[in-house]
Amino acid sequence: MAFQVLLNFFLAFLWMFLTSSFTLSSFIIGYFLGLLVIFAMRRFFQTRLYILRVWAVIKLTVLFIIELIKANIEVLAIVLRPKMDLKPGVFKYDTKLEREWEVTLLSLLITLTPGTLVMDVSDDNGTLYIHALNASDIKGNVSSIREGFEKAIMEVSR
Amino acid sequence: MKKPNDVILQTVTTVISFIIILFSINLFFAGHYTPGGGFIGGLMTAAALVLLLLAYDVKTLNTILPFDYRMMTAAGLLIAVLTGAGALLFNQPFLTHAYDYFNLPLLGETSLHTAVLFDIGVYLVVIGVTMTIIQTIGESE
Repeated sequence: MAFQVLLNFFLAFLWMFLTSSFTLSSFIIGYFLGLLVIFAMRRFFQTRLYILRVWAVIKLTVLFIIELIKANIEVLAIVLRPKMDLKPGVFKYDTKLEREWEVTLLSLLITLTPGTLVMDVSDDNGTLYIHALNASDIKGNVSSIREGFEKAIMEVSR
Repeated sequence: MKKPNDVILQTVTTVISFIIILFSINLFFAGHYTPGGGFIGGLMTAAALVLLLLAYDVKTLNTILPFDYRMMTAAGLLIAVLTGAGALLFNQPFLTHAYDYFNLPLLGETSLHTAVLFDIGVYLVVIGVTMTIIQTIGESE
């Protein structure tokens, strides 16, 4: 992954020196040409192509923005309703994610989508304790959203 | 009292501290023409170190950055005084600054000013004093 990015940058610099024009535009052209070369030689790498991982990050960002807008509209509906029939509760959520940054990213995504809030992480980073605004009817719904986030994060780190 | 799991705070701190330190360096160099300077840059760097102190502890920070902050304060004061005394060599009054324009590679036409050296002294003194205060308060039980 990191090796591929470094190789791409090296190829872009090499292109700049070959054409002896040290401008941003020639660097970008060299970068794309290097990407083509790396794509052609992809069987030599142990890991998958890094551009796929960049694509996964973009997909995760788009998913997050959509979820943020949807959840905020839901909270707006709850706030403006004359009768509040909330059933707050705390539930456990077992993650399959292992690395520290993955658990952190998942917690931040859960916290930033309103209606749910990460309260604590267990000592082995395996369980999140989540406070939900509507623990009764949203539980199955929430877990499906979580599968979306968790799957997207796994796509990035795979 | 069980120690809580600080995994979220620690991971976010490791990412954010790089950004804060880079911003503080930018503030330090912006001081001559735009708002900024040695004092605010030093405070910002010290703030990044304090954030690391909050996320981890004093012992961890001392293994990451093994600085003696008292010596840092002394070095900053020494740099500031020597910058002022350098003017005496050229038969100018104390703390007279000189500047000139140079053609540097990569940067092009740049004005180099001896006030930057004085600012480095201020920067080191601010970091040293802030960290000394916070660490002495933190270590006293």
